[in-house]
Amino acid sequence: MTTDSTSGATTPAGAQGSTSNPTPGSRSDSDPKVTAAEGPVRTPGSRLLGSTLVRHTALMLAAYVGIVLLLELVSPFRGSQIGEMAYFVPAVAGLTLLTGLNGQISLGHGALMAVGAYTTAVILEVREDLPFQLVVLIAVIVTSVVGAVVGAAAARLHGPYLAGATLALAVGLPGLALTFEERLGGEQGLRVSPPSSSVNFESFIQGTLGFELSSQKYIAYVGWALALIVLFVLSNLIVSRYGRVWRAVRDDEVAASLAGINLGRARVLAFVVSAACAGVAGAMIAVITRLTAPTTFTIVLSISLLVAIVIGGLGSLVGAIIGSALLVFLRPAVTNLGLDNGLDAAAAANIAPLVYGIVLILVMLLAPRGLVGSIRFAYLTRKAGRQMKAAQQSR
Amino acid sequence: MLEINDLVVAYGPVKALDGVNISVPKGKITAVLGANGAGKTSLLRSVSGLVKSRSGNVVLDGTDITKKPVEDMVRLGMAHVPEGRGVIAELTIEENLRLGGLFRKESDAEEQIEGVYKQFPPLDSRRKRSAHTLSGGERQMLVVGRALLAKPKVLLLDEPSLGLAPLVVNQIFTLVRELVDSTGLAVLLVEQNAKSALGIADTGVVLNLGKVVATDDAKALAADEGLRHAYLGF
Amino acid sequence: MQQFLNLTLNGITIGFIYAAFALCLVLIFRATRIINFGQGAQAMFTTYIALEVIQRGGSYWLALPIALISGFLLGAFVERVIIRPVETGPEINAVIVTLGIFIGLIALASVVFGNTFEGFVAPFSVRGLTFGDTNINITPNNIYNIVAVLIAMTSLLVLFRFTSLGLQMRASAFGQEVARLLGVRVGRMLTLGWALAGMFGSLAGILIAGGGFISPAFMDGVVVFGFVAAVLGGLDSFIGAVVGGLVLGLTTVYVQGYVGQELQTLAALGILITVLLVKPGGLFSSTVARKV
Repeated sequence: MTTDSTSGATTPAGAQGSTSNPTPGSRSDSDPKVTAAEGPVRTPGSRLLGSTLVRHTALMLAAYVGIVLLLELVSPFRGSQIGEMAYFVPAVAGLTLLTGLNGQISLGHGALMAVGAYTTAVILEVREDLPFQLVVLIAVIVTSVVGAVVGAAAARLHGPYLAGATLALAVGLPGLALTFEERLGGEQGLRVSPPSSSVNFESFIQGTLGFELSSQKYIAYVGWALALIVLFVLSNLIVSRYGRVWRAVRDDEVAASLAGINLGRARVLAFVVSAACAGVAGAMIAVITRLTAPTTFTIVLSISLLVAIVIGGLGSLVGAIIGSALLVFLRPAVTNLGLDNGLDAAAAANIAPLVYGIVLILVMLLAPRGLVGSIRFAYLTRKAGRQMKAAQQSR
Repeated sequence: MLEINDLVVAYGPVKALDGVNISVPKGKITAVLGANGAGKTSLLRSVSGLVKSRSGNVVLDGTDITKKPVEDMVRLGMAHVPEGRGVIAELTIEENLRLGGLFRKESDAEEQIEGVYKQFPPLDSRRKRSAHTLSGGERQMLVVGRALLAKPKVLLLDEPSLGLAPLVVNQIFTLVRELVDSTGLAVLLVEQNAKSALGIADTGVVLNLGKVVATDDAKALAADEGLRHAYLGF
Repeated sequence: MQQFLNLTLNGITIGFIYAAFALCLVLIFRATRIINFGQGAQAMFTTYIALEVIQRGGSYWLALPIALISGFLLGAFVERVIIRPVETGPEINAVIVTLGIFIGLIALASVVFGNTFEGFVAPFSVRGLTFGDTNINITPNNIYNIVAVLIAMTSLLVLFRFTSLGLQMRASAFGQEVARLLGVRVGRMLTLGWALAGMFGSLAGILIAGGGFISPAFMDGVVVFGFVAAVLGGLDSFIGAVVGGLVLGLTTVYVQGYVGQELQTLAALGILITVLLVKPGGLFSSTVARKV
């Protein structure tokens, strides 16, 4: 905040330098650290990327196996919760890339999820027989296009102006569903027919794991497969040149543009990527909950995404997963708490958003790096301290 | 009137002031000189409380003001004209002046403001105009007048000559000297323009890298060629 | 033609209320350089408090000052306790905190006051006035709304231009450090700014509620419209807020009348994007040269 009498009239767009930065987000897991002390310098690019790709692929496959096991072992209720996570994770992960890595705060991702969901619903209504994968792909493309438009408009906005513009989007976009009532179902929304499960996938599961696949479980498996694919793509993007460019744009616009980075393009790209993730999430919500209505995609949804990334520490994929888990598991817990204490159903349902609000405030006041981020920061500082001492001693 | 004892001011590991002792007596101008980065501005900012000191204390007319908040200073009798003058450009000249006298116990604000206008005619004709229309020299007059409206016992002046033409600098300095002689005001003057400062000051204190390297009668300092060349640039 | 006139009158009436809300945002922005996204939720909450008073038998004219005072106190509390720690940090932290207030207060209101729509009494008649043969679409209640906002704005103007307190508040807003050196208790002035903004917001909330229905989310649209109005006018300018409010009022009413109610917010979004891309400082951006 400027505190002296020489500050100029604030202009929201354009170069505002580093006063518009978020708190430095925790760095991603996979920052390649090549130090001279580690041995011969590797050629940057292929070899490094190769090892990261392999590592990420292995991680994702292992995670998928773990999730399948989990889904089989836990109760149906928990199973459905894990399924719920499958659609939060991509949305939260995409937002963490946009806000944490690239510094653009968006309150409109609930609306983008709505775009994905409605696209899915409309397609399935018209062509019920299309394979799920294709439907998701179309939903992602449509949402990405919308994301590109929004991103282009938002590229020059910072901080509160961006928040305000995306807030307007979040509040206003549901209105479209009401205007085009016949097509989009109006207030009631559209029923979503379940997608035809791919026969190959079913027989594959039956063959390897030896049991029948309920439609619900199929959705959870596919959902998590999609979620992990999204995480895979994002984690590689974060380590790549794109990730560095996004961070550079976040940290110091002037330096970044002097280095030849096209600020607008970088920002729009980040927006499109996060929109695509929201599209995946939206498609999944449509299919998992079998309904798309304006009431699902309220401002509360957008803000709960924000809560997830704030808790997780802006910019950390691990944090995004933890944040999503918190969203999914916290809500029924506090709602039940309310019901147990005599509140009626409607009131109890609002305890979760109340907690979200309190969490946002408390985390910003007490741990601006987010809970996961603060732990990571402490770990990294201590690690840096040890490295420094080691370097000093070896002299 | 103002005693600065063993003041240490640090920004992280960097010590801006490293145990500074300065005495600012009544009715005298004490000039603090030295190159950029010597710690002069940090000195004034920590005396008035904008910056917290690491150790040491500051005593104003017998009262220890080291831990007191900045906002109390005017009420305790100390006025600080900051580096860059501190004109609030969005307010009018009249409003800037009014701010100066807001916290005085006496209720003769109007009279006093008229007195300032008499002293600085260029301000008189533009009372209701926004302060950003003033030139550098006029702004300096404004902030000095504003500071004096608080009827301070001690006046801290941070580089008043910055960006001003020599003639204007002369005017301001002469004015300050007259005030000190007539009212017994104590002035702590921080200046880069050592020559002019020593011309009106009674005592000179030379700072270098946060430490006091010389305290002496102003004329003696001005005459000491070795010192002048080493620290004061002339 | 008749419809155009009616819509225009409507637009002006509601425009004044948006202007009042935009004014609170400008007030807070000038003081602390923060945009309070929770302002609408604060106003909603105090409107519910007023509703409680009325439902327990109090008159509107008792509920109104209670709402205003609650708004004042709530605003002061929010600044002192919640906002003060993030005032000097990165911008994004303050944004997130105000969003927390936004969602938290709405949820709290849902829990405490219930989620359903409740009617709110209008202090004056809501039937259009008749002059001879013609019916114009302006009601006594509309006139009350406009007068109330005008009185509030004038009081604010008087406070700022002619009182010592107002001078201190402006000094705190324009030159915080210098103001402190001059003895102004800047912290208190900032709190006062938020308190006044809270009061203004409460007024806007009650005026909007009059003759209609309230629910915990009833101020959501106003937040968007007020924000766009403030940005349109230039976040530093009170006059800008008024002009912006009127523009937004007219725009939303025309959109509602000629196109469809649901598209109002998107229209406001369109205005916002246009302003930010064409003249980001707003119509009345102050171009005071900040020389020393």
